Amino acid sequence: MTNQLVISGEVVQIETLRYTPAGIPLLSFVLRHLSEQVEAGMQRRVECEINAMLMGELAEKSQLIKVGTHLNVTGFIAKRSLKSAQLVLHINTLNY
Amino acid sequence: MPKNILKVALDVPLDRLFDYLDGGFSVQVGQRVVVPFGRRNVVGVVIEKSDSSEFALEKLKTIIQVFDDELPIDPSTFSLLKFCADYYQYPFGQALLASLPKRLRQTEPAVSRKQYLYSLTPEGMGADIDLIPARQSVQRKVFAALQQSTLSESALKEISASWRQAIEAFRMQGWVHAEQVLAGFKSAMEAAPPPPLNDEQQVAVNAVTEAANTFKPFLLHGITGSGKTEVYMQILQQALADNDGQALVLVPEINLTPQLEARFRNRLPHLPLVSLHSNLGESERLKNWRLAQSGQARIIIGTRLAVFTPIPNLKIVMVDEEHDGSYKQQDSMRYHARDVAMVRAQRSKVPIVMGSATPALEAWHNAQSGKYTLLSLHSRAVAQSALPNIRCIDTTKQESTNGLTQVLVHAMRERLAKGEQSLLFINRRGYSPVLLCSACHWIAPCMRCSSRLVVHLKQGRLRCHHCGHEQKIVRQCPSCGNADLHPTGHGTQRLEETLKALFPTARIQRVDRDSTSRKEALNDILTAVHDNEIDILIGTQMLAKGHDFPNLTLVGVIDTDSALFSPDFRAAERLFAQLMQVSGRAGRAEKPGEVLIQTAFPSHHLFNALRTQDYPAYAQTLLQEREMAQFPPYCYLALIKAESTQYREVEQFLNFAFELARQRSDQVLTYDPMRAQMEKLKGMERGHILMQATQRGALQKLLAALTPQLRASKLAAKLRWNIDVDPMEF
Repeated sequence: MTNQLVISGEVVQIETLRYTPAGIPLLSFVLRHLSEQVEAGMQRRVECEINAMLMGELAEKSQLIKVGTHLNVTGFIAKRSLKSAQLVLHINTLNY
Repeated sequence: MPKNILKVALDVPLDRLFDYLDGGFSVQVGQRVVVPFGRRNVVGVVIEKSDSSEFALEKLKTIIQVFDDELPIDPSTFSLLKFCADYYQYPFGQALLASLPKRLRQTEPAVSRKQYLYSLTPEGMGADIDLIPARQSVQRKVFAALQQSTLSESALKEISASWRQAIEAFRMQGWVHAEQVLAGFKSAMEAAPPPPLNDEQQVAVNAVTEAANTFKPFLLHGITGSGKTEVYMQILQQALADNDGQALVLVPEINLTPQLEARFRNRLPHLPLVSLHSNLGESERLKNWRLAQSGQARIIIGTRLAVFTPIPNLKIVMVDEEHDGSYKQQDSMRYHARDVAMVRAQRSKVPIVMGSATPALEAWHNAQSGKYTLLSLHSRAVAQSALPNIRCIDTTKQESTNGLTQVLVHAMRERLAKGEQSLLFINRRGYSPVLLCSACHWIAPCMRCSSRLVVHLKQGRLRCHHCGHEQKIVRQCPSCGNADLHPTGHGTQRLEETLKALFPTARIQRVDRDSTSRKEALNDILTAVHDNEIDILIGTQMLAKGHDFPNLTLVGVIDTDSALFSPDFRAAERLFAQLMQVSGRAGRAEKPGEVLIQTAFPSHHLFNALRTQDYPAYAQTLLQEREMAQFPPYCYLALIKAESTQYREVEQFLNFAFELARQRSDQVLTYDPMRAQMEKLKGMERGHILMQATQRGALQKLLAALTPQLRASKLAAKLRWNIDVDPMEF
């Protein structure tokens, strides 16, 4: 089954780097996306905020990420937790 | 006929004695012998000498050796152990051998090294230090020290590690005289003067003193800080004055023995005192045991294992904190040391004093019915010290962050500002009791027990607190693969982390089994608390008992609610006792104390009783509950417990036992086999049968008939089983 999201945007909120109990670094932030898209042949504006997170090596190299940083990312989406409807983007690759 | 057949008790799981020929050795009853048993040689104790055996004489083997230079064990110790072995359904030989120090269970002769005091002889006095060559620096140092005073071995050891050669050289010259001393008797200098007793204390001391040389049980009920220890000491002083009598003092925890020992030595320096507990080295334990057996030690203070020590001149028995669960042995012979002490006092015709702030309901019931004499201490010994003010914080109304409500945090901040100490009580060690996967709700389980693994974050380990299993913290959830796992719930380590973040400048110390595994660690911490080098203590029940911190004015209790609704029938009693103990830590000197309890059920009647420190009222309520539910002390219980890797085997055995028990007695109610509360433990599937009777005798009669049948059954051979008489829980 496919689950891939490619999106770019600006970091608007960032949490401090934390570690899982096994010691894997983990960074969560919110990405604001703003763009023009085509829908049913009509041009429109799109605005959204999406919860995203980085883990492992990506999180370790994330010192460059600050509020205001522009990112191009790809990853998959998953529920925040078992009983939550909220989605979180788990980032696999990122470019500044 | 010469009585040359010895009936010997051996450490084997058969409930009988074994016959051996004495082989011409002169052997006394109570002496240890080495005998051939199967292919091994083992140590046994001669219980009886007889002129006949049910076996043919030529089939009997001969003993190999007798330790005839040892004092024989007296028959009253045998008969006490025999009584206990029968009562607790355990083979006598195993019970007897297990009660001896380990050195006495080995086939090698058990010699305790003798200790000496060294002093200079008149020749030595007259000798000049310059007679010793200058290069013999050790000799010169030792000699100089001996000129000052008489020295013990430990004092010499501090001067030099190679002191023995020096002393040996002096002895050759006739300069030094060695005098054997009874080690363990650290003779204190002057007896500290006794503080004046208040009226209630005096009444208690007098009542027990008057009962000398008769069996009379006393329950000494005194609130925390009411000076029970002082009463013990004055009773001892009275009971052991002008005679060669000995006293047995039982304490619940090893940690508490050195403290009590020091107080006793300080106040009663003329009475040689030895301690007996499992933290002693084997040779020290043997030495102390022998000093008790020979009557030289006048006060024997120890944990539950000390209750079987031979004490020829017993004059009084004391059981401190008699409600404590650690008096019950939880494996091999499952005796309750308080109950054994009672039997012992009865047989020796001496008074027994059981002390507690929160007596066990059994004891309280007996005191109410007049079986025990109740002695109450209502006021604190230090007149200025008031009882702590106890309040509940409703966690359903007060928001808490990381397990701490604002009220509690505020109270701690106040103490910090005033330079006073706080104690947070949380009965769970580790970082968090559960490791949870938020994506699929998987929880890290122990593979060998029906329990969860506890997160120890700093060590990066998951540990089972039941079986000791330990593993690395998993990188990801084994069920769904998510790596973002959450430690959930609070343990001491997490609380420590939270507090360090809240109060970065405070000196915080955690006290649990993990932080005190080093031998002297706990003592070091306690000293630091007394020296005011610690502001906030975080502790498990280790800290609840007996410790006296004058500058501690706040106790916070976190997360006790699970015990309020436990299926264990003693849970409420135990929780009350524990909270009462912890509360007693606050404000023991002239500063008033405060206790804050975080709970979701602030109106629970347990907390109401706690607020007024009214043990009698709460005991009354609990006793009514017990009576309604027909639980002890209103009935007598026994459990047949079985465990095996296959539950099927457990079930078969228990069904067999159940049928037997049902047929044999209609005065005992035998319940159907069921699974233990902890279904699986250390890889074993567990089950039990509960038996209940209103008469102790009826239950004993049934067990006495049932046990041999169970021992003989083929089903029993396939699994592990045991009988627990008067179980603490089921």
